[in-house]
Amino acid sequence: MKRIGYCILLIVLVVPMLTSCMGLRQINELAMVAAVGLDLGEKPGTVRLSAQIIRPADARGQTGAPSGGTGEPIYSITTEGSSIFDAIRNMGQISSRRVYWAHNFLIVMSEQYARKGIDDMVDFFTRNHELRMNTWVAVSADKPEEVISTVTGLEVVPGEAVDRLFRDHRIPGRAPGTNMMSLEESHLSSSTQSVIARVSLQPRGVSNKKPGEHGSIQQVELKGAAAFKESKMVGWLTADDARGVLFFLERLDKGIEVVTCPDSSTDMMTLEFNSAKLKVTPSYTQGSPKFKVRLTTSADIVENGCSQTTEQLRKDAGEGLDQELTKTLEGVIDKAQHKYQSDFLKLGDVFRNKYPTEWKKLKGNWDDAFSEAEITVVVETTVKSGVVKATREGIK
Amino acid sequence: MPDVSEEKPDTIQEELKKSVQPKLSDNVAVMEAIMGQSVDVLKRDFMLCGSTDHPGAIYFLDGMADATIVDVVLKSLITYGSERKLDPERLTTADIIRTELMINASVKPVEHIKDAISAMISGDTLVFIDGVEQGMIVSSRGWKDRGVEEPASENNVRGPRDGFTETIRTNTANVRRRIRDPHLRIEPMVIGTRTMTDINIAYIQDLVKPGLVDEVKKRLDGIKIDAILESGYIEELIEDSPLSPFNTVQSTERPDKAASALLEGRVVIFIDNTPVVLIVPTFFWQFIQAPDDYYNRYWVGSFFRIVRYFAFLISLLLPSIYVMLVSFHHEMIPTQLALTIASGREVVPFPVLLEALIMELAFELMREAGLRMPKPIGQAVSIVGSLIIGQAAVQAGLVSPFMVIVVAITGISSFAIPSYSSSLALRMFRFPILLASGTMGLLGFAATFFALLLHALSIRSFGEPYLTPLSPYRPSDQRDMMLRAPMWMLNSRPGFAQDQDRMGHDQMPAPPKKDGSQ
Repeated sequence: MKRIGYCILLIVLVVPMLTSCMGLRQINELAMVAAVGLDLGEKPGTVRLSAQIIRPADARGQTGAPSGGTGEPIYSITTEGSSIFDAIRNMGQISSRRVYWAHNFLIVMSEQYARKGIDDMVDFFTRNHELRMNTWVAVSADKPEEVISTVTGLEVVPGEAVDRLFRDHRIPGRAPGTNMMSLEESHLSSSTQSVIARVSLQPRGVSNKKPGEHGSIQQVELKGAAAFKESKMVGWLTADDARGVLFFLERLDKGIEVVTCPDSSTDMMTLEFNSAKLKVTPSYTQGSPKFKVRLTTSADIVENGCSQTTEQLRKDAGEGLDQELTKTLEGVIDKAQHKYQSDFLKLGDVFRNKYPTEWKKLKGNWDDAFSEAEITVVVETTVKSGVVKATREGIK
Repeated sequence: MPDVSEEKPDTIQEELKKSVQPKLSDNVAVMEAIMGQSVDVLKRDFMLCGSTDHPGAIYFLDGMADATIVDVVLKSLITYGSERKLDPERLTTADIIRTELMINASVKPVEHIKDAISAMISGDTLVFIDGVEQGMIVSSRGWKDRGVEEPASENNVRGPRDGFTETIRTNTANVRRRIRDPHLRIEPMVIGTRTMTDINIAYIQDLVKPGLVDEVKKRLDGIKIDAILESGYIEELIEDSPLSPFNTVQSTERPDKAASALLEGRVVIFIDNTPVVLIVPTFFWQFIQAPDDYYNRYWVGSFFRIVRYFAFLISLLLPSIYVMLVSFHHEMIPTQLALTIASGREVVPFPVLLEALIMELAFELMREAGLRMPKPIGQAVSIVGSLIIGQAAVQAGLVSPFMVIVVAITGISSFAIPSYSSSLALRMFRFPILLASGTMGLLGFAATFFALLLHALSIRSFGEPYLTPLSPYRPSDQRDMMLRAPMWMLNSRPGFAQDQDRMGHDQMPAPPKKDGSQ
């Protein structure tokens, strides 16, 4: 009994020494990265990595404890290396605290980097245990280090601001919400291609001190997308295209659309559509796939600039919305099929699920088969209700 | 000198073995030899029925014996006989004197000096009469008593306010008053060779598990000790797992708790001179349950019971979880919170573990100081404590505001546990878990917590598994474990009690039906 007791005591005493507090790091000794930018380095074959690091003392107002002074809430640094991990290690030469990635919100790639291929980036960011799969991914035509070091208006930490933009991306519906998870999924899949949201710097901020200078402050805008083929970016998608992409990839069900009034080409009315459902039905005839894309939705007239009553408008409004949405969908399908010849709309997935054996035949040259496929778009809208509005002739 | 002190007990032991003698002078000599010159031993000589041929003497302890009862004893011995023209010659045995002369309620003949002495020391009056072969013990116990007050350590809002006192008889009466069941047995026992402390074992005969009372008696009989000053002595000598930090014997100051324990088929051990009684067997969950749970409506009772379970977990684990997250698993903290914590810690010079240990120790220090400090300056502790710990330490950048919050919540939670003695145990458990999670992170946290859990699963209290009814799982007892089911659903006793039926079924109140039937 006594001997067992001593043994246990010995183990209890020794075990904590063996661990030597491995992995122990105080939270205030970490450089928490909120956003990371990827670009091509100056020397060929190198990577330029920039990181937006949060300075907790300034990112949080202090009550009680003396803070580290009032300054910028973020600290942005950039390094180069022959690989991403090399660049990250090189950050240790500059950053006084250990760079910590688990709280990263955003990865921004430059257009040049994306066009060169994102294999490395997907590999690294999914392999590293400290990085999360729910990190948002974006491509920018601007320099990534500028994008990530831009201080935004409302949030203290800019990375957080972009995070919020991404979280609510379905409200404007102008860019897909792409994170590492969806990127990896589409990147590794043989039946689909990747599409990544686009961020850009736009002079949209109004200075409080000089309100006259409209839009003098750069702000990060989430709008549009970048289309990929295999691992390389092939081109940009507009905001309208991005909405089309959202219908396909994220089953967008709500949004607004502005259509012209039936009796006038200058007056406009705004329709809010909801419970939109997109259904893709593949078929296979004589060696070539066909797709029927059918979008059903119901809409409300939320802003009526027309001179007709809602009742009169109802039918025409539905048709107008049909046309707009058809245009959106056909536009993005056209870009995917013909301009980029890249199936980022996941039509290959749909086809594979329904025709697994046929898919095996087409797999090898799906890009060609896809770009030649016949895709018909049907949009059906019912305008259910609308704003109660008097026509210009008065209440009827 | 050493010889004298060694010899003295021996002579007393010799004297104690003697029997009561017919001659008064012999008895007086023995009494003097035994009791010596103690000032509180009072002797009063008298003449039986006023007759000089029959001298006698009474002995009683000043302060222990009720003076009015002693007066009555003397009155009946001296004057009642002559008033009623009794012939003193006839009064030759203790039995005759008891039946014909004495008017006291309890008069017992006594043959051995040892019994006579122990009765006198307990406050009874000892009567010796010349020519009578036996002595007599007249019950006259009566001393200054604290009186029944509200229990200091177990408070409630709704429910009886009386607590146990230091007098065993008052305590048993308090319980007896609640359970007027002839099955309630209160058996006496004396433990402590010098203190001769009265112990009473109470149980309800047809509810208690067979063998349990014998086991309790066996364990109590096994105690060979000179002194019992508090129930803690007994507790430590009869518990099942003496090395375990868990309390396997419940202690309470509340008669209603003791009564409910009896009604659950458990055994209550009363100890003289302490307001704390012991209850066996004990289950872990009892420390988290409070009498209020049953006195308030079941919604309220259940809710506050859940609150206390949270309090239990918080008081045990919160500092460890905080230290673990902040020093190892930063990815598990939401980003916003991580930033807030990091900004609060920006200027703190210590590692989190050390910071936590300092604060926890400071808190325990304040608690202990507040307890030991004379009452009039007790306020100083709280003022100094809250100012130093809460305000100055944070402003000086010694500790982070978050740590203050964590320690404060932990401290408050530990006070929410109704059983004070088990909340003390919990407070101690906190430190090993804290050290393990501060050095080994989640691994250490989980390992110590599970070690604790396994230990709790392994121990027993008087043969009953400690975590009953959760493990072993007893479905019918679940109605009164995590939640407190409505009174009309609590129709059975705990699994280990003998008689399971508590009340009729279908007692849920309902308005009368339309046709008038119930």
